[in-house]
Amino acid sequence: MKKNITKLMLVIILLGSIKSIYAEMSADEIAVKSQEVFFYQAADMKANVSMRLVNREGKERQRKLIMLRKNLANREQKFFIYFEKPQDFRDMTFMVHKLPDKDDLRWLFIPALKMVRRIASSDKHSSFVGSDFTYEDISGRDISLDNYKLLRKEKLNGIDCFVIQSIPKEEDKFSRKLSWIDGEKFLPRKEEYYNSSDELEKVFTAEEIKDIDGFPTIMKRIMKDVKTGNYTEVLYNNIKYNIGIGDDLFEERFMQNPQRRYLE
Amino acid sequence: MFIKMLTKLAIFSVDHPKLIILLTIFITILFAIQFPKITIDTDPKHMLSQASPVRKNNDKVEKDFELNADVIVLGIVNKNGVINKKTLSRITKFTNEIKKISGVISQDIISFTTIDNVLSEENTLIAKPVLERIPETDKELELLKKSIIKNPLFVNRIISPDATATAIYVPIKPAVNGKEVADKIKQLLPKDAGDDEYYLAGDPVARDTFGIEMFRQMGLFSPIAGIVMCIAIWIMFRSVPLIAANMSVAMVSIIWCMGLLIGMKFPVHIMSSMSPVFLMAIATDSIHIFNEFAFRFREVRDKRSAVIDTMAVVANPVFYSDITTAVGFASLATASIVPVKIFGLFIGFGTLVILLMSFTLVPAILMLIKEDSILKITQNPEQKEVSSQSYLTQLGKFCIKYAKGIAAFGGILLIISGVGLYKIKVNNNMVNWFKYSSPIRTADRIMNKHLGGTSTAYLVIETQTENSIKDPAMLKGIENLQKELEKDPRVGKTFSVADYVKRINRVLHNDDPNYDRIPDSSDEIGQYIFLFSMSAKQKDLNNVVDYPFQKAIIHLQLKTWDAGVMEDIIKRTDKYLAKSPLPGGAKIQPAGIAYFNLVWNSEVLWGMVESFLWGLILVLILLIIQTRSLLLGVISFLPLIFTILIIYGVVGLIGKDFDMPVAVLSTLSLGLAIDFAIHFVGRFQHRYREFPKLDDALIWTVERPGKGIFLNAILFALGFLVMVFADLTPYITVGVLMAVIMLISAAMSIIYLPGLIRLFHKEVVK
Repeated sequence: MKKNITKLMLVIILLGSIKSIYAEMSADEIAVKSQEVFFYQAADMKANVSMRLVNREGKERQRKLIMLRKNLANREQKFFIYFEKPQDFRDMTFMVHKLPDKDDLRWLFIPALKMVRRIASSDKHSSFVGSDFTYEDISGRDISLDNYKLLRKEKLNGIDCFVIQSIPKEEDKFSRKLSWIDGEKFLPRKEEYYNSSDELEKVFTAEEIKDIDGFPTIMKRIMKDVKTGNYTEVLYNNIKYNIGIGDDLFEERFMQNPQRRYLE
Repeated sequence: MFIKMLTKLAIFSVDHPKLIILLTIFITILFAIQFPKITIDTDPKHMLSQASPVRKNNDKVEKDFELNADVIVLGIVNKNGVINKKTLSRITKFTNEIKKISGVISQDIISFTTIDNVLSEENTLIAKPVLERIPETDKELELLKKSIIKNPLFVNRIISPDATATAIYVPIKPAVNGKEVADKIKQLLPKDAGDDEYYLAGDPVARDTFGIEMFRQMGLFSPIAGIVMCIAIWIMFRSVPLIAANMSVAMVSIIWCMGLLIGMKFPVHIMSSMSPVFLMAIATDSIHIFNEFAFRFREVRDKRSAVIDTMAVVANPVFYSDITTAVGFASLATASIVPVKIFGLFIGFGTLVILLMSFTLVPAILMLIKEDSILKITQNPEQKEVSSQSYLTQLGKFCIKYAKGIAAFGGILLIISGVGLYKIKVNNNMVNWFKYSSPIRTADRIMNKHLGGTSTAYLVIETQTENSIKDPAMLKGIENLQKELEKDPRVGKTFSVADYVKRINRVLHNDDPNYDRIPDSSDEIGQYIFLFSMSAKQKDLNNVVDYPFQKAIIHLQLKTWDAGVMEDIIKRTDKYLAKSPLPGGAKIQPAGIAYFNLVWNSEVLWGMVESFLWGLILVLILLIIQTRSLLLGVISFLPLIFTILIIYGVVGLIGKDFDMPVAVLSTLSLGLAIDFAIHFVGRFQHRYREFPKLDDALIWTVERPGKGIFLNAILFALGFLVMVFADLTPYITVGVLMAVIMLISAAMSIIYLPGLIRLFHKEVVK
């Protein structure tokens, strides 16, 4: 009996010490760290991405693309996307220059017209390639736009998570977001988006996380539109970090004939 | 057998009046305590059962294409143009405020500030809300106006071609009350609007306003009808106890019927809301008992035997007239429409309650009336006897004398009615259930004048294989079908994925109008649709094509709620597709509220006509049983047929639509109009058996039960005519037609029956 009590004491002390380590991190620090791991990992990255856009009836649309990402100074990023599927937009390429505090710059090469068009949109909530993910979901939201609060720590599927609530400083599409952030890897395991009437609208889940070249990476993610019942499942394959992407990839004139070496 | 039992029951009631009254009150309280559980349902869609193919298909289409079933339209009209700083800032404010109203699907609101415009400027494709910020200068305003008016996707939808009208489309969640949301929107509108005019239209507003109005009107007119009937009874009998007797029969049947309906958890529908007035009308049948009692008491001067004798004599006609009424309503149970079934069965139940009360509560109350006040009752008919009796006697004599001439005149009336019946138009239009100058109907009219239309329909295109919609031939086919449909002036706007593809094609080619067409390759189409899905809301695309591009949908805005429009659209579509079919054997399926109304229209109305015919046959059989004579049964049946043919002949001749309220009337008239003939023939037979002199018996019948018939008809007509002052046209229709039906059928019974019985007397009276 006495032995058991000593054991229990020990556990409590141990737990307490872990807690105190976590407690040292503020909500803001967790948010910054999480965004770093989630969107800015390594200097550059390449992946084969396959997407399944599924409606509530199980009917699908597919997208297969090669995605390359390069980090720049001042948290700017450039994305280059080459479409492999569906067949009718093969060879289409799409380029995004992400500017955290300004509107993104986007270019699309339209094979049927053999021309590049700039696409201007001030809406970061518009759909990314027709999926349930938005540009913001893919490339991250400007960290200074929200106030963060650490609500609690809890286990999600057996993993210790911080539950962070983000509330936009100015009125936005979503009134708040709840993120379950992996206490160890700092990647979000789950996110819930609430609209202005505080109804749950979208749910993000990281279904599979792996370490690639030492970088924790979400291999499979799902974004579900709770209102319509539609969801998009995204699989990352052949992920490579720090492959040395040059600035030449992101030239508008190369969009029609992107350099093969990046696509193989 | 039933009649014997009822007569025994009546004798029991005469001997135990207080027990009967207490028992009735007790049971009535049991039914009354169900009332607080009342639920109301005014959605015409619920008229068809959830399992009906149309409803299932409609629900599926709405879900497949993420469409909102219920949309409120806030129309803004400004004769100087809506693109001005003030109106635009109001649109912005309204949109933001409406988003916050609970029950509104805020992310799907369509207005200048939420809908995206896809434009092209210097090789840049721009997707941005139509109205991002309020323009500062006139030049900017002019540019904005151009950008909206030049987008064919917007014209007739969110802007009128002359820019004097716009609309905010507010989708609401299922089961949310459209009137309540509309009222909250109304509160947002400024009192001093300047040149802006605001209109609230759309199916949920009309429907739920109708629902609320309907109860208000029924709450108002049921008591008024009751009071009018009370006054009429007072004039006829000068007796408060008789008024109490008649009204308590009516109230008891209403409370039992509605209590049972609510207790069994059925929602109160448009039709069942009319139950009180109907039951009140049916309850006037007890006038026959009072009338006979007044005559009897004068003859025997003993209350008990007068009541028992009265009940014995009227038992047969009262029983059969109530049974035929109940059967007429219960025949609605053969209809496929659930609320119609329920309505029929419950009114049938209420009628049986009236029958029961006629043999229990009525004799019990008669027993409790003081002798001296009975003398007052009997005095009154005595005083008036001289004039009314001689008048009715004269009439009886006249009818017997000119039987053939009267029959011939009837024949001519029938031919005229036949012409009217041929011209009758079956139609249903919920907006027309409001008066012409009512806010709802005005809003609908103004919106339909300026924009594409407040009613919507869909044509779903189903192909055999995935991606077939991206086939250029398919899109061109859809485009041409749309052009064909727009030839109908009642189709104010159509749009489909073809319009989106054309728009992107043009925008990508620097707004060159030559590219406002479907491209020639499916790759090009696929890429344009993709581009569209990148620049617009996901929903915009999901609203027009399904995920595998196997199905597409054409949206139609219609300028009228007439069910007939949809019928014409389907005919036009079929005719066009027979000539130029869509590639790959693609099929077209109609859906949407307009199609729903069409199906509802034909199913509800024809269903009612069918049950009405069944009711007619059943009533005829009952008449033959009652008279124990085939010929006499058929003769008693004739006044009913005459009345119905004349009424619907007139409806056809004056061009009034045969809609739901009119259809409900036919079943009501079935049960009620026959009552007079039943009383007439029943009492004639009874008299003839006692005094077998034909002409005298006929004249006696015209004079004595005939008086009851006239009193009943007048009472009835007065009760219903009150509804002429209602705000909703169906109630006006019901009120006027009901009154006319009663008067005509009373006249038919009294004028035609003596003549007909005389003509066929050899066969009739053996």
